[in-house]
Amino acid sequence: MAEISFPLPDLGEGLIEATVLEWLVSPGEQVERNQPLVEVETTKSAVELPSPQAGKVVRTYGGPGDKINVGEPLIVFEVPDNTAGIVGTVPKEEAPKRRVRLSAVLDED
Amino acid sequence: MSGRHTGELHSHTVEGTDPQLYVQVHEPQNDAGLRPVLLLHGFSSSSKLNWEDTGWLGALLEAGRRVITVDLPGHGRSGAPEDMDSYSPSRIRADLLQIVFDAGVRPLRDGDPSSGLDVIGYSLGSRLAWEFGATQHELVHRLVLGGPNVADPLADFDLIAAQRYLADGTPIADESTAGLLKMAMLLPSNNIFALLSLIEAIKTEPYDPAEAVPHMPMLLVAGEKDDRAASMPELAALGAKAGGMVEQLVLPGRNHTNAITSRAFKQGAISFLGV
Repeated sequence: MAEISFPLPDLGEGLIEATVLEWLVSPGEQVERNQPLVEVETTKSAVELPSPQAGKVVRTYGGPGDKINVGEPLIVFEVPDNTAGIVGTVPKEEAPKRRVRLSAVLDED
Repeated sequence: MSGRHTGELHSHTVEGTDPQLYVQVHEPQNDAGLRPVLLLHGFSSSSKLNWEDTGWLGALLEAGRRVITVDLPGHGRSGAPEDMDSYSPSRIRADLLQIVFDAGVRPLRDGDPSSGLDVIGYSLGSRLAWEFGATQHELVHRLVLGGPNVADPLADFDLIAAQRYLADGTPIADESTAGLLKMAMLLPSNNIFALLSLIEAIKTEPYDPAEAVPHMPMLLVAGEKDDRAASMPELAALGAKAGGMVEQLVLPGRNHTNAITSRAFKQGAISFLGV
């Protein structure tokens, strides 16, 4: 089994955080993809976030009234090993193989 | 999102002009065989913000309900007509009537659970639902009114102060006006001048719930921290006096903004309308 963590997604322009109103799932629960996970409130509106993933809930972050920043962990799922790579990136111990050149390359033309 | 849907810019001429309202009819995967549900969003919101992003549409489709959503004039994907008449509540109610007939809604018939229409409104949408129910008792089976007003905060809106603020930033003295305008301006998709036209039109037809009272069963819902929770018994008394069955649901810890996503609200509404 592998664990996949999902952060609080980008909820729209300029929003950097959201407040948890109510969790609709709890640790140990098996959820389907698109099943409502949690209600959160931003400065603009209240929304219900659907699950990006099917799996067993391992952990949820934040209780009612707690603020979570966009990009910070929201929920962790446990999924069978062979499905983990399909939807998310699972952090591995090994060093990344691909190299990205960060120095500027001037255009030839 | 489960269920198929069809989207259209509603283009059936009512009273000589095209209301340019954006209508969607959402079909459930497993139809429960019950009448459709019409959803009416609040001021400065849209069907997407009020009903889709909040999980209502998914929950209703899951319950096997056919759902009709309409963006109010100047809101969401509806047009923003120039003439003020397009925004008057009576005109909007006439447009809604045409829209639901076009969507296949038929008058209530005894013993036919697929006949008629259920309506769920929020805030301004509840005002429209109250009046729609009061005038269309042969069509409307049940009402769910979220964050319902007894007074009319939009009719008391200080339009001149708002226009001055928009022109040169002069602060708005009236707290309710300032709050409503701030809310309207938070969403870049809002056409602020269309919203002001709506307010101007509402001022010519302010909400008076006692003027026409729906007789059908009603569920009134508000957050505990919404001032409207305190005035719900007044609305309930009006409905009861008119001979209707009225239930009330107060959502602990919720206010006017965040009551809308509440699971207890959705479940309460779905079971109230599931008969």
